[in-house]
Amino acid sequence: MLAETWAYLAAHPRQFGTALSTHVTLSASALAIAIVLAVPVGIWVAHSRRGALVAINAANVGRTLPSLAILALVMPLLGTGFAPALFALTLLALPPILINTCTAVRGVDPDVVDAARGMGMTAIDLVRKVKLPIALPVIFAGIRTAAIQVISGAVLAAYIGGGGLGDFITAGIAMMAVPQLLVGAVPATLLALGTDFALGRLQTAFTPPGLRRP
Amino acid sequence: MHIARRIRRLVAVGAIAALAATSASAQVRVGSKNFTEQFIVAEIYAQALEAAGIKVERRINLGGTLIAHKALEEKQIDLYPEYTGTMLIAVLKGEPMTDRKAVYDKVKAEYAAKGLVVLNETSFQNTYNMVVRPETAAQYKLETLSDLARVSKDLRLGAGPEFRDRKDGLPGLKAKYGMEFKEDLQMAIGLRYQALAGRQIDVVNGYSTDGMIGALKLKRLRDDRNLWPPYYLVPVVRKDALDADPKIADVLNRVNALLDEATMTEMNYKVDGEKEEPKDVARAFLKARGIVR
Amino acid sequence: MKWLANHWDQVLVALGEHVAISLTALAIAGALALAIGILAARNDRVYNAALAVSGVLYTIPTLAFLALLIPLVGLGKANAVICMVAFSLMIMIRNVATGIREVPRDVVEAAEGMGMSRAEVLTKIELPLALPVIVAGLRIATVTVISVTVVAAYVNAGGLGTLIFAGISNDFAPKIWTGALAACALAVAADLCLGRFEARLRRRTS
Repeated sequence: MLAETWAYLAAHPRQFGTALSTHVTLSASALAIAIVLAVPVGIWVAHSRRGALVAINAANVGRTLPSLAILALVMPLLGTGFAPALFALTLLALPPILINTCTAVRGVDPDVVDAARGMGMTAIDLVRKVKLPIALPVIFAGIRTAAIQVISGAVLAAYIGGGGLGDFITAGIAMMAVPQLLVGAVPATLLALGTDFALGRLQTAFTPPGLRRP
Repeated sequence: MHIARRIRRLVAVGAIAALAATSASAQVRVGSKNFTEQFIVAEIYAQALEAAGIKVERRINLGGTLIAHKALEEKQIDLYPEYTGTMLIAVLKGEPMTDRKAVYDKVKAEYAAKGLVVLNETSFQNTYNMVVRPETAAQYKLETLSDLARVSKDLRLGAGPEFRDRKDGLPGLKAKYGMEFKEDLQMAIGLRYQALAGRQIDVVNGYSTDGMIGALKLKRLRDDRNLWPPYYLVPVVRKDALDADPKIADVLNRVNALLDEATMTEMNYKVDGEKEEPKDVARAFLKARGIVR
Repeated sequence: MKWLANHWDQVLVALGEHVAISLTALAIAGALALAIGILAARNDRVYNAALAVSGVLYTIPTLAFLALLIPLVGLGKANAVICMVAFSLMIMIRNVATGIREVPRDVVEAAEGMGMSRAEVLTKIELPLALPVIVAGLRIATVTVISVTVVAAYVNAGGLGTLIFAGISNDFAPKIWTGALAACALAVAADLCLGRFEARLRRRTS
């Protein structure tokens, strides 16, 4: 079975390359856009209790929505293809990042904030030098969750013509051709596991040494 | 304290009961492949059998050819509609032949060896029609597949998942016509025509009875080198199921013979173009022919 | 929503299938998680191993997982249920174990002091006190399972996903809307109900 899978891959290098690069591009872009949108908003709403409540509740609802439902709902509105898939995946990535950023910034110990203010820090300095470094590990955890969501969602993007590794899986299922199916499923799994591992390492690196768990 | 556990037990019992209920026994299980004509024909078969007093369980939209065939062999369904050419090439992995009777006899014999009975053919076939927008045909002066092969390197193909790997699909076009495309996009079968109309692709592997071909005034290109075998529609039934109730064969043969190309195309259009439900379209057909009231 | 009005029976059948599969998966995952979680609560090695394995399972993309199961169990409900159980294990094992571990030591010791057996301590003290955390895990698992069931329609498991896929493949928006919105509504409703149950349990045990 593995030999046949490898043979199929070797026989279709261009298709696999395209699918893989589309998958990675979709995932990375969706994640990047979501970070750029959600982190600033998360920091901003964290300053007001009501704002934080609204944002977190909305994002919590967003987080319960099935990924395929979001992808499917985008289709009647934006059609099929890369751009609609990117839009849907960005929506999927927003909630975990927003929630974690907001909770993290709000969770910074008020005593620490007081001490820093006592040292004469400006508001911007406060965010940059105190709140953000402390909040960073939690924000990163949110990004990590979002990354896995997005990679998994990108597999489903094949249904709305977004391309990616899901194409091999759907074709393999249609043809009952296990090698083809594995050419899609195994790399997608490895991509997800690898990303999770790498981001886990990065998360530890981003944690200020004083806050790392022993 | 114990509420949660009691709830969990109730839930488990309920779930098991629900699952058991959904797999209750029925007499005949009718399956279908994953595109519109299959949905309609399977419903026609199912409703005709029900009108004859036979209980039917539907397993529509199982998936592609090989999934449906596997379901039949593994006794998960009792019958489904298939095309003789597809049986020859995709299932039996044979070489393309063009004689209608030869193909029918061959698949009938080889399927019999597997315990599957091939009933009578329809009077019309549903073969592949490579189609393009009228502007494309005019621009490149396309009438036949040989014409298409000249310019295909500049065109993008859109097809369902099976076309890429079947011998009567893309590989066949390449072998017989030397046809290669600039891009080969895979999509859900039902989305091909939307993508063609929307200019995301330039060529589609249409099915000759697709209602959308006429509706969109697409140009069908002739298979001048006879790549494709005949694709006549037949009910394929498990021998055990027929032995249990021979009436099945009579009902299916009768209703299969009532189908013709124009009607099939129109029914396909009702579902694809006007978004009607396959079972409603099937019912209307059977009603008009006096099979159901 | 004219389509919904004319075809509500189809939607109800799909909804019923969806709920049935989800409940089955949750029941199995719950039973497994309870057993493994109780062991993991007492044993760090079991805890770490269980969380590591179930964590890896949870990271696998849904459709890839369903696809990988096809050579083993084919298409259909069994495939979907196995996938859902695998996805739910991590969160539920973690919450069962954590919930039990968070029961204050002195409460456990007092119970033991009163002559309760290990089993009685577990069933009468630890599990009931751990219930809010366990239900919190159940809540996340439920939403996960509902989401996976939507995709599982593609491997012929039934459920609301069949409406979505039919709508996508026929380019028929009303079916997509109905299936997708129904799935979202189900997920949100389940989350809200379990959330309220969790809140009530927390008030009772605090």
